[in-house]
Amino acid sequence: MDFRFTDEQQELIDAAKSIFDGEHTVERMRAQLDGNEVDALWPQFAELGLLGIIAPEDAGGLGQDFSLMAAIAEAAGYAGLVEPFVEVAGLSVPLLAEMGETEKLAQVIAGEIRVAPLSPNLFANQDADKNDFFIETNPEGSRLVARDDVTLTGLKSIDPLRRIFKVSHQAQGNALSDWYGSVLSAAQICGLSRRIVDMSVDYAKDREQFGQQIGSFQAIKHHLANVHTQIEFTRPTVYFAALSGGRAVHEAKIAACDTGSLAAEVGIQVHGGMGYTYEVNLHMFMKRIWALSGEWGDRNDHMNILTPLVLADDAAIGPGASFLA
Amino acid sequence: MNIDFTPKQQEFRAEIRDWLETHVPKKRLPSLDTKEGFEQHRAWERTLHQGNWGMVTWPTEYGGRGCDLIEWLIFEEEYYRVDAPARVSQNGIFLLGPTIMEYGTEEQKKRFLPPMAAGDEIWAQAWSEPGAGSDLAAIRSKAVRDGDEYVITGQKTWSSRAVFADWCFGLFRTEADSARHKGLSKILVPLDSKGLTIRPIAQLDGDPGFAELFFDEVRVPAENLLGPEHGGWGVAMATAGFERGLLLRSPARFQAAASRLVKLYKNHANRLSPGVKDQVMQAWIDTERFAAATYALVSQVNAGASISSESSANKIFWSEMDRHLHRTAMSIMGAQAEIEEGLEAIDDGRWLDGYMFSLAGPIYAGTNEIQRNILAERVLGLPRK
Repeated sequence: MDFRFTDEQQELIDAAKSIFDGEHTVERMRAQLDGNEVDALWPQFAELGLLGIIAPEDAGGLGQDFSLMAAIAEAAGYAGLVEPFVEVAGLSVPLLAEMGETEKLAQVIAGEIRVAPLSPNLFANQDADKNDFFIETNPEGSRLVARDDVTLTGLKSIDPLRRIFKVSHQAQGNALSDWYGSVLSAAQICGLSRRIVDMSVDYAKDREQFGQQIGSFQAIKHHLANVHTQIEFTRPTVYFAALSGGRAVHEAKIAACDTGSLAAEVGIQVHGGMGYTYEVNLHMFMKRIWALSGEWGDRNDHMNILTPLVLADDAAIGPGASFLA
Repeated sequence: MNIDFTPKQQEFRAEIRDWLETHVPKKRLPSLDTKEGFEQHRAWERTLHQGNWGMVTWPTEYGGRGCDLIEWLIFEEEYYRVDAPARVSQNGIFLLGPTIMEYGTEEQKKRFLPPMAAGDEIWAQAWSEPGAGSDLAAIRSKAVRDGDEYVITGQKTWSSRAVFADWCFGLFRTEADSARHKGLSKILVPLDSKGLTIRPIAQLDGDPGFAELFFDEVRVPAENLLGPEHGGWGVAMATAGFERGLLLRSPARFQAAASRLVKLYKNHANRLSPGVKDQVMQAWIDTERFAAATYALVSQVNAGASISSESSANKIFWSEMDRHLHRTAMSIMGAQAEIEEGLEAIDDGRWLDGYMFSLAGPIYAGTNEIQRNILAERVLGLPRK
């Protein structure tokens, strides 16, 4: 029982962070928002091995466990990463490995082709027009669908940086995609929530009213302390869910939805009128939280699955049961 | 990262589980804040000690088993799984004990820790004063050095367990004319000292769970100073860290309450409005989140990390979770929620007791408002003024 990353894993997390935070700046996001071409990050993801981080070593991957992927998804969320890196590295890669598609897997890890799982929502397939293949997940056996065999219809997301599409094929999901998809969306929301806290702290130190920094007022402090507390009591459940699957997956997504909503609302409150503008960067992060809260099962979906598992007469609940289940 | 218990940890779990099965009192003990209940809880502490379970994380020479904190969490899980009695010695074993381990002299460790683990000496706290609550640094009670003694004069309040306990640990102003955090010292005082008057205060439930202490030139030996003279603030903050953090409130007690809540819900489900189910689930989910976060924190501490301001988030989370959990239980019981004990009481009234006690959670160990200030200033870096 040890909830820590190894030094090697921490180095990988730091490497991912340095690309996300160093290259994927708010200026880059702004440029994307304005429809300008930006330098592609995908080759760097491939070069650093990030795309194959949880792929088996014999398939050319790093063979890391899924909790590391959750940490990297959290970092991607913090940066507000626009590219669907998390979906490809965290979902397509293990799904291709599960399907035995070794050749395609190698090409994805090398950044030569892009394969993404079809969303079980029918829509919200991000950057779908840039994919070469889709994975149509199914508990009975998943299959690959070529880009040319599907019809894409563009949809307008509240998140201006998410280019999403309705696709003519619907995935059913399977045990692996349901588990990993939920954890990765929850992990990204944790990162996004932390980003909003950091942005709000910066703003509260900068903005003065009544002759002093607004961050010196307890009303502001307590709002932000609340969000901090909720984040710190959501992240460990996300990591735990990454390794355990099962009930914790639903707990993680439910907690992330609640934490994310709180972060977004407190973030805008602390920013005051500025937070309500398109000009201040806050909105890009809060809208991503809203988008991801519905992805891979929203709060209702997860509560509907979790509730009967907990209320069942033979449910193993109580002290010690969480880690023995 | 791995989430499996080692064979050694599993054996430890089996050992404590076996022992508890045969030793835990069959019937719930009366409240430890009554004379009768206090003595029965003390007797239980002695039983625990005979099994060498008094305080498993302490070194063997002080009455412990040298367990690490993961084993501590396992111990707690098994303890609450069978609804074993509340720890009347908690001020000592969870708060003062670890502080003595960190700041005490070798003589103090030998003198105080073994009887603490054995339940022979039960400890009370003596920190707050009428004018020093959240603003603890406003302490005025004095301890004046006179030869090889301190002479203590002043008043303490909200002193938990002081009515029936044997000793108290207090924070006193030892440096004349000092102000705020400077010039304070932590001193250990026998509660039967000459010049010390104890006035019980009835808590919300009517029982004398805490007391006011009046010190009128109470003399204690200078060797009862714990940690540096005039450096008591740092010592006290270490104790507060234990109180807000890992030891006092491990996840198991809340997980036990959450599973009782699930049972309560199922017994009354047919008359409840639909929203109650989600409240029950929320309470349960929060206890699981608390467990995962605690194991994560313990992993860091086991690897040598120290926790300081982070324990404030802990305290906010468990206290508000506990209040919500018990509020939900109260809402389920309807008209029967009023019945405190006896005929028509649900679960012998323990939800009412639990709810009242949960209302103290956001207040004791430093109010949650103070914890939020600590987080905002020391963790998030917001300006103090």
